[in-house]
Amino acid sequence: MNNHYAIKPLALFVAAVLSGCSSMPERNSMLEQARADYGAAQANAQVVTLAAGELRQASDSLDRANAASNKGENTATVDHLAYIARQQVGIAEETARQKNAELMVANAGAERDRVRLDARTREADAAQRSADRAKRDAEASQRSAQASQLQSEASRRQAESAQRDARASQLQSEASQRSSEAAQMQSEASQRMAMAERQAATDAQVSAAASRQRTLDAEGRARLLEAQLADLAAKKTDRGMVITLGDVLFDTNQSQLRSGGMRNVGKLADFVKQNPGRIVMIEGFTDSVGTDGRNQRLSDERAGAVRTALLSMGVGSERMTSRGYGESFPVAGNDTPAGRQQNRRVEIIVSEDGGVIKPR
Amino acid sequence: MKTNRSCATLLALGCSLALAAGCASTPAPTEQMAVSKLAIATAVAAGGPEHAAVEMKSAQDKMDRANRAMAKEDYDVARTLAEEAQADARLAEKKAQSDKAQKAAAVMRDDNRVLREELNRKTQ
Repeated sequence: MNNHYAIKPLALFVAAVLSGCSSMPERNSMLEQARADYGAAQANAQVVTLAAGELRQASDSLDRANAASNKGENTATVDHLAYIARQQVGIAEETARQKNAELMVANAGAERDRVRLDARTREADAAQRSADRAKRDAEASQRSAQASQLQSEASRRQAESAQRDARASQLQSEASQRSSEAAQMQSEASQRMAMAERQAATDAQVSAAASRQRTLDAEGRARLLEAQLADLAAKKTDRGMVITLGDVLFDTNQSQLRSGGMRNVGKLADFVKQNPGRIVMIEGFTDSVGTDGRNQRLSDERAGAVRTALLSMGVGSERMTSRGYGESFPVAGNDTPAGRQQNRRVEIIVSEDGGVIKPR
Repeated sequence: MKTNRSCATLLALGCSLALAAGCASTPAPTEQMAVSKLAIATAVAAGGPEHAAVEMKSAQDKMDRANRAMAKEDYDVARTLAEEAQADARLAEKKAQSDKAQKAAAVMRDDNRVLREELNRKTQ
């Protein structure tokens, strides 16, 4: 942000000179809003980590708005670019909120285990307390037994039966002390077990945190990427990762993508946005039924529909090319319905980091 | 300063001429129109009208105006409106998705709270 403030006086001066008038141009409030919104999003760690790709797009748009303002372009143009930047900041913030909520759902299982473990620890504590109570009771009854024994010795002759009672009660108290000791041992064992489980849970948490850290690291990123692509059933080839959208994902004989196809394209858009170093090539194909012209047109249109879908999800047009190949390059025989269906497809090739795809 | 200004005036004149020339031959933004239309359809399918009514309405209004501008061959206006409609639609879509995810998280949180209370009662 410092940068912007440093440039501003210069920009205003340049704008004033360019417009050739003596009064300073008025400040663009939409642009100021966009800068403020972006600053807030950038200061939000959740947005920075969970919506890095979306935040970068917002930053690019804000740069364009700033550049237009510095060049002294008209208010409507600057307003428009600033508006786009503001909405993209909003998109980044909502994306972060969504991802955060999804993480919470994923972590809820671990939280449930923790609650259960807490409950077990409390059970062990309660057992310990009741063992303590039993021990105290036993001690009290032993003391009273001793007292009654002393009493009975003083009046032994008169109360031999009382002595027998006292012995019996001593025996009983000893038995109850033994049982309280056993209870205590048992409670200690269950407490130890709970502690061990808690330790194991902590260890698991630590190792989970460590593995999360690793996935953030450069080498872990590759694995994460592959997992995301595996979700799309991507195949690794020498041209890059290839994702095939089958015929069933399009309306019959038309280029309209069905909702299932849109879902796959959405996943791909997410992936591509998080990996700005990769480019995308979209290739359409048909079976051999029908005229060459019609097949060429359908394959063009289907590849174009995928490109339009990716564009609508915010993937930059400069990173995509699309082309139809008609009935060329079949992947199966055109003599069976199943083979023909396999041939009617759109292949999306995602380059490695570096952005080169070998042409066919 | 004086020479500077006359230079700048010349430059500005050149720029506006180039701009005017650019306007005259602006091609129809058919791709942007298709992209924005699709973005709106996607946002509607994601639940934009229920979860982000304001953004959704803004997107649809701008799309209507963009269509009218296209009919009048006012292509710069059409492109501007279509671009804003796309941004509005994408924000509406994200808001809807984020809303749904947050609701799911709240349900899970509630489930865990109930479980905790139940276990607490049992151990007391």
